[in-house]
Amino acid sequence: MARKTDAPPVNITINGIDLQVPKGELIVESVKRLGLEIPIFCYHPRMKPVGMCRMCLVEVGMKQPDGSVRKMPKPQAACTLPASEGLVIFTDTEQIHKDRKGVLEFLLINHPLDCPICDRGGECPLQNNTLFYGPSTSRFVEMKRHAVKAYPLSKHVTLDLERCIQCGRCVRFTEEISGDAQLAFRHRGAEMQPVTFELEEFTSKFSGNTIEICPVGALTSSHYRFRARPWDLETAPGICTMCSNGCNVWFDRRKGKLVRINGRTNEAVNEEWTCDKGKFGTDWMNNPRRASDVKVRRGDGFSRADWAEAYAEILERFREGGHEVAGLAGPMLSNEDLYLLRRMFDETFGSSNLDHRMTSVQGPAVEPPSFTIEGLEDEKGAFVFGASLSDESPIVYLRLRKAWYRQGARICVATSRPDDADAFAAVSVRYPQGGEAEFLRSLVAELRVQLEGGRSFGELADLASTLLETRGPILATESLWNLDQAGEVLAQLRLAAELLGVSLNVMALGANGQGAEELGVRPDAFDRTGLGTRQILEACADGRIRALWLAGVDPFEAFPDRSLVQRALENVEYLVVQTALETEAAAYASVVLPITAPGESDGSFTNVERRVQAFEKAVDPPAEAKPAWRVFSELMVRAEPRTPHFSAREILAEIAREVPAFQGVEWSAARDGGVLLGARRPLSRARS
Amino acid sequence: MSQSPDTPNLRFSAKAVAELESLKTHYPNLKACILPALWIAQREYGGHLPPEAIAEVAHRLKRSPAEVQGVATFYSMYNTGHKPGRHMIEVCTCLTCSVCGAWDVAAYLEQKLGIKMGETTPDGMFTLHGVECLNACDRAPLIQVGDEYHGPMDEQKIDALLERLRNEPESKVVALADALVQVHLKEEEREKARRAAEAVRN
Repeated sequence: MARKTDAPPVNITINGIDLQVPKGELIVESVKRLGLEIPIFCYHPRMKPVGMCRMCLVEVGMKQPDGSVRKMPKPQAACTLPASEGLVIFTDTEQIHKDRKGVLEFLLINHPLDCPICDRGGECPLQNNTLFYGPSTSRFVEMKRHAVKAYPLSKHVTLDLERCIQCGRCVRFTEEISGDAQLAFRHRGAEMQPVTFELEEFTSKFSGNTIEICPVGALTSSHYRFRARPWDLETAPGICTMCSNGCNVWFDRRKGKLVRINGRTNEAVNEEWTCDKGKFGTDWMNNPRRASDVKVRRGDGFSRADWAEAYAEILERFREGGHEVAGLAGPMLSNEDLYLLRRMFDETFGSSNLDHRMTSVQGPAVEPPSFTIEGLEDEKGAFVFGASLSDESPIVYLRLRKAWYRQGARICVATSRPDDADAFAAVSVRYPQGGEAEFLRSLVAELRVQLEGGRSFGELADLASTLLETRGPILATESLWNLDQAGEVLAQLRLAAELLGVSLNVMALGANGQGAEELGVRPDAFDRTGLGTRQILEACADGRIRALWLAGVDPFEAFPDRSLVQRALENVEYLVVQTALETEAAAYASVVLPITAPGESDGSFTNVERRVQAFEKAVDPPAEAKPAWRVFSELMVRAEPRTPHFSAREILAEIAREVPAFQGVEWSAARDGGVLLGARRPLSRARS
Repeated sequence: MSQSPDTPNLRFSAKAVAELESLKTHYPNLKACILPALWIAQREYGGHLPPEAIAEVAHRLKRSPAEVQGVATFYSMYNTGHKPGRHMIEVCTCLTCSVCGAWDVAAYLEQKLGIKMGETTPDGMFTLHGVECLNACDRAPLIQVGDEYHGPMDEQKIDALLERLRNEPESKVVALADALVQVHLKEEEREKARRAAEAVRN
């Protein structure tokens, strides 16, 4: 449970084996050191123990001065028993086996045993524990408790009350981890139900995790319900692409089709949690509007074409296009895609008009983030400016909350609207929308006053003094480029960071937004000069740019100025739309090229903390879809004979050679846990 | 916490608010204050804890309504079910009372009031409940009405008691809730609440 411990070691004995463990460590954890297992239901290593299910009973004794062991008369729950000097534990005695049998018999009294049709059947802790430790038959002949089946708590979570064994994991999750406390036990005894207040909608942004930690099939996914049996699933590790946090996930597929996403443990990133956006993001990969054919425009409509035909047409328009061609890159392109895209624009098209930023304005480059998600836990505080982290960066939000919950970190929040983080923030301040720059100017002024020993009154002064005491990193997101005075806001944030001596982190929002920055998919990278997104769209609208390439991005959705996008796409002569879905922009295309969705090909992403994480193909793509990098590679070969790239690994190796920030990144390391880019600056001065 | 961002309809009187403010200072955190706060709510909402009352308590204590509802539904003396009658008659059904005729008492009450255990008379006057040991075996068979114990009961005594209760305008359920609030408070805190109530009246 505790990540690091300074507790002194104590000597305990487990099943006759002596070992040393930190004082206070829970026995349920200590036995793992010996490779033993204690059956559990309610205990979860990331949450406080409650001892509700009694499954983890062990016999406990104390060493007596004469060397004998005096056993306690009754078994104890290992999940609430801290290690202390001389403790003697027995996990494998006849008594304990009898106790476990008894506990399971009780748990099964009201359990419906509808395992053959239960989603959990096959991966169910209750099934497993019953098989290993439980009675083979039931003596209970009375009527079982009956309750509502399949009650939809929300559009994601369906509650099957009869199956609940009342362990309280879901309730504790909403209280301790996600912090919204939306679930609680109502009523008592056999009638106890883990439900929301008045059965209102379970709106937590992390509700999907309760499905995963439920040790029975009581909380089930509305999307996955009855879609597959666990033993029919093929599972593969993947990276979530719904935001820039880069959660590690399992892709579970049945007959090649993605049916479920579960959290995969990576202590440095998401621990084992996912947000609902990511967990239930299966829908878009299975979207019926998936683009699956190469199509070229003929007259008013599209006709199917083969790749060669499309390549020839594209090359005719783009080759040596110089400043008359441009490209926009989407947030879900992998590092390999982006790297080759930039090379193709550089080498084959001779153009620097390439951008990935979809914010209202495109400013100069900002120093890359230097915080780490795991490192946030050790901070004394943090300053969240203008970002709704629970939506924009959910895993960073969970870590900040954990820092507060576990270590009492004092989080400061300044936003224009009420935010979820207010619930645990030490100071939360509102400013009027559009008043960001002015707010920051007064904050900087107050910081200066306080650094010289003065202090004014009001919440701004509280904010400034808390910031000065905690000196945690400043966290903002790239959405600040949507503000009217973005440049000024950034300048003031820099000033504040300088005064506080902390890092300023402008977090990318797209899955690989940070990767695009690192790989120079922007017009001003590597001392070139080209047009940024807004200028590209404007140039398309007035005909200065004649051919536009949309690589995995629908500007109608991504760019704030819709009418500009419409004018641009209507007026540009030639439009390549490389897309996984039949998007709105695809209707304007001259050529539609289907690409694979993340998870359908190999690749790597760079997440918000500059962690490069590689993943391998988990799901089959639609028939003709190709990874974007393969298209770029094939085009470059057609333009000029050379050796094409054959795999994403090979491209990542090339990136590691060519791009300084990626030096030393290796596929295997990136796949197993990820590699942090760049030399790390100290997190904050106050910590040293 | 973030579940109901909009403020629920607040119905606590000035006195109740003053009492709650005093109670908050008795505990290390607001979570610990849920039980007495629910007694205040039960009194303020006429002996009943509808969802609105629970939402109000949650709002005033900055807890999630789900949690407060969990606490309220756990304890049988909080009336979270249907709205109880003006008086609640609780018949002890434990060992001594059973032996001494509790079930006869219960049957007589059921017949006399025309309702079953757990029900409320249509005129909203009485609610009948069977309860576990009331810790007054010397007076078995015993019934409890609000904060009063009556026993040993026979048919004449029940008739007389019902007659008296019918003419009692003040709800015994509310009176019990109020009594339980008052025992949580110190004398000066009661005085403060009285002054707060008066300040509103003037």
